[in-house]
Amino acid sequence: MNRNKWLLSAAILAFALLPLGLGTYHQHILIVSLFYVMMAASWNLLAGYTGQVSFGHAAFAGIGAYASGILATKAGFNPWLGVMAGTMLATAFGFLVGLLCLKMGGIYLSLTTLAFSSILHIVINNEYEITRGTMGLQVPGLVAEYSKISYFYIFLVATLLVLGVIYRMVHANMGLNFRAVQNDERAAASLGVNVVRVRVMAFTVSSAMAGLAGALYGHYLLLVTPQIPSLDQQFLVLSMTVIGGLGSFVGPIIGAISLEILSEYIRAYGEYHVLFFGLVALTVARFAPKGLVGIYQSARERRMQAVAKTSPAVNR
Amino acid sequence: MLALAITNGLVIGMIYALTALGVSLVVGIMNVVNFAHGEFYILAGYFSYIFAHTMGFDPFAAMFIAVCAVFLFGVLVEYTIIRPTYGDELYSLILTFILSIVLQNAYLLIFGPYPNKPPNWVSGATNVFGLFYYGNQRLAALAAGVAVIVLFFAMLKMTWFGRMIRATSQDREMAELNGINTKRLNMLSFGLGCALAGAAGVILAPVFPVTPTAGVPLALTAFVCVVLGGMGSMRGCIVGGLILGLVENLGAAYVSTGYKHVFMFIILILVLLVRPSGLFGRSEA
Repeated sequence: MNRNKWLLSAAILAFALLPLGLGTYHQHILIVSLFYVMMAASWNLLAGYTGQVSFGHAAFAGIGAYASGILATKAGFNPWLGVMAGTMLATAFGFLVGLLCLKMGGIYLSLTTLAFSSILHIVINNEYEITRGTMGLQVPGLVAEYSKISYFYIFLVATLLVLGVIYRMVHANMGLNFRAVQNDERAAASLGVNVVRVRVMAFTVSSAMAGLAGALYGHYLLLVTPQIPSLDQQFLVLSMTVIGGLGSFVGPIIGAISLEILSEYIRAYGEYHVLFFGLVALTVARFAPKGLVGIYQSARERRMQAVAKTSPAVNR
Repeated sequence: MLALAITNGLVIGMIYALTALGVSLVVGIMNVVNFAHGEFYILAGYFSYIFAHTMGFDPFAAMFIAVCAVFLFGVLVEYTIIRPTYGDELYSLILTFILSIVLQNAYLLIFGPYPNKPPNWVSGATNVFGLFYYGNQRLAALAAGVAVIVLFFAMLKMTWFGRMIRATSQDREMAELNGINTKRLNMLSFGLGCALAGAAGVILAPVFPVTPTAGVPLALTAFVCVVLGGMGSMRGCIVGGLILGLVENLGAAYVSTGYKHVFMFIILILVLLVRPSGLFGRSEA
C-alpha cells in the first residue's frame, strides 16, 4: 500500500514536471488530454459503475462552457466565478435530468440524454445573439497573462480533484452500491440499496464534473463553440472510455491520453480521423468489451495460469 | 394555413411512423434500441440516388433495389455486431451508437457533405380541396408511406412470419419452446427494421435530400415516437408518429419555426413524467 502511494506520487510529480521540457504544441496536447481524462473518467463513473449510458455528457460540458462564457462576456463576471457558476448550473441540470430518468431503465436514460443534448443544440443555434451560434463565443482567459504552463497546472489540479472524488466514491461504501445497482438492480434494492438515490447521485456528480471540465476548456480555448456539446465530442469521450476499459478506474485515463495523442498524429489525414476512431472503437467494443485494461488483465491471468502449471509448488 | 400545417403534419408524421415501426420491431423482438437507425434511412436515400441518378435505373426499380440492399446490410450488421450483445442493453447501446458515428463519417467520406436528391416520381402540384396547392411528390410520398405501413401490418397479422414475430415479442422463451428459431428471427427482423427505415428513406429522399448527418434528427424523432407510443407497440408507433408530425408542424406554424423540434422533446418529457410506459405500452412488472 505504502509502495503504491509512493509510486502514485512519483507518477503525478513526473507528469507535473513533464510540460516544462516541452514546446507549446506538446503542452497543448497535454492540456487537451487532461480535459478528456476528466470527461472520460466522469462518464465512466456513470456508464461503467452504475450502468447508465448517457449521451448527454458532452452537453453538460457545453452547459458549463456556455454558462461560464456568457456570464464572463455579457455580465462581466470574473472567469473563475463563471467556472463555478457553470459547474453549478451543470450540476443542477444533471440533477433534474437524473430525476426525470429515475423511474426508467437504461434505454430511457440514453434516449432522454440524447434528446437533452439535441435540445441544447437547437437552443444554442437559435439564440445566436447570445451564444453567437456556430461562430463561437469569444471568452476571456482564466489567467491575466496567457501561458500554456499555467493552464496545464489549472487542468492538472482540476483533473486530480475529479479523479480523487471518483476514486473516493467508487472505493467507499457508495462504490459498492454503484456496482450492485449495475449488476442487478432488483437484488440491490432488496438488500436495502436505495437504487434511485444512487443513480441520481452518480448522474449529478458526473454532470458537475463534465460542467467543470467544459467551463475550464472553454476558457482555455478562448472560444466556446457548439463543437463542445456536439455528438462527435460525446462519441470521442465514449470511445476513449470503451477503448481504455469501461468500469475500471485507470481505463478512461489510459484511453483518454493515448487516444488524444493518437488523434493528434492522425489529424494530418483530415476529417477522417473520426472515422478511424470509430472503426477502432467498434472493433475494440465488439471483440474486447473490457478495453485495453481487460486485455491486460486477461493476459496477466493467462501468464499466472501458465506459471501455476509449470511450477506446481507455487500454490496460486 | 391550418389546413396546410395539418397536411404537412400528416405527411411528416407518416414518415415518422414508418421509421419508428422499424425501431419498435427491433425493440419488441430483440430488446435492442438501434441508435444507427437514422443512418440506415440515409443509406437507402443514397442508394436510390446512385441507382436512379448515376446508373440510370428506373426510379421505382432503384427504390426497390435500395431497400433490398439496406435489408441485406442490416442482416450483415446484426450478424457481425449486434449478435454478441443479446441480453446486455448497455452493450448494444454503445455499439450501435459507435456504428452510427462510423456510418455518418463514412458517408461524409464517400458522398461528401452536399445534399443528394433522387429524381421526383411525379411533378407539379394539386389543389387540395380548393384550399391550397400541395406538391404532388409529397402527396405521392404520403400514399406510398401508407401503402408500406398497410403492407407491413398485413404481413404481421396474416403471414406465418408475422405470427412468429408477434409470438417472439410477446414471450421469447415460449416461442423458442414452440420451435421458433429466434436467432434467425432476430437476424431477419433486424434486417426488416432496417428495411423499414430504408423504405422511409427512399420515400422521403426526393422531398428532403439526404446529407450524411440528416438521419440523426429523424432517428431521434423515431425514438421519441416509440417511447410515446409505448416500447414495442406497433399501433403506438403509428399514433405517436402522427401526433409528433402534427405537433411539430402546428408548432412551427403558430409558435416558432426555429424551435419546432423542441416541441416533441417537451412531449417526451411529459410522457416520461406522466406515463413512462407510453400510450399503448405494456407496463413492466
